[in-house]
Amino acid sequence: MKTDDMRHELAQLGGGAHALATQILGNPDDAADAVHDSLEKALRTPDSYDSGKGSLKPWFLRIVRNRCIDLIRRRRPTEDRVEEISDSAMGPDKAAELADRDRVLKQALASLESEQRQIIVLRDYMDLSYAEIANVLDIASGTVMSRLHRARVALGKAYREL
Amino acid sequence: MTKYSNSGEHVGELLSGYIDGELTQQERQRVRLHCDSCADCDSTLTDLRRLRQRIGEARLSDKDRDNWRESMDDTTVKATRGIGWLLLIGGALIGVGVGVYEFIITPSTLSFIEKLIVGGVYGGMLLIFISVLRQRLIERKSDRYKDVEI
Ligand SMILES: [Zn+2]
Repeated sequence: MKTDDMRHELAQLGGGAHALATQILGNPDDAADAVHDSLEKALRTPDSYDSGKGSLKPWFLRIVRNRCIDLIRRRRPTEDRVEEISDSAMGPDKAAELADRDRVLKQALASLESEQRQIIVLRDYMDLSYAEIANVLDIASGTVMSRLHRARVALGKAYREL
Repeated sequence: MTKYSNSGEHVGELLSGYIDGELTQQERQRVRLHCDSCADCDSTLTDLRRLRQRIGEARLSDKDRDNWRESMDDTTVKATRGIGWLLLIGGALIGVGVGVYEFIITPSTLSFIEKLIVGGVYGGMLLIFISVLRQRLIERKSDRYKDVEI
């Protein structure tokens, strides 16, 4: 893949990657840093992307997710971070700017576990296939449907209760 | 809220697979047939579809394509600048080394003491240059975000 094409595609993926990173890190600023670092890494090692093995999207999202996990590990060295980061979501200032519908959705998302938020963003926001989701999250592809379904049911419930 | 179990009759997670287009022909058939006769699963299916659409339309990131394009440009600028600095510093070190060597080796009318004084002056200038450079680099690092916004 030519670097220019890759840059173009990466720019398109940035927003979704940022949404994913925000769900993992619980903070849009840290998430922007993580995406920035990931773009840097992707552009530094473009040859590690093999177009024969799938599209750029899951490849890049995997880099982003790994970067986020690194950041969390650095943040709290001993605890099991991913589950811990959940509910902070966004500060009140930021939330006030956002459309009401989106705010409610984000609140509902924030009530889920980290992996549930990620799987929903990957499927419903980024449109990844189940196989691609399994690849990004490092889980068995046979478990994607059940995990996703549980996450959706939980989100629907949280959404209605808000 | 719609209630369903994953046991026999209800189709449970297959509803998600159904709206995602991830089921086999047979499974799709099963979901369709089941939802025709089960109001619970049918309404869950509607809810799931609505939720999926809702998330697709949401704005979960406040940063657009241009932001990431700039972010990548910033990355390239940084990389080129890094190489530039490396070349500059490498070249300067070699230049200084050769200069010092020549200065000491070349027979001249200057006495050893005089050489020491001249050497001291140039050495001092070099140290000041390095210290200013170092300071600037440190400032640049902490100014990362200012750089991006400009
Ligand atoms: Zn049913």
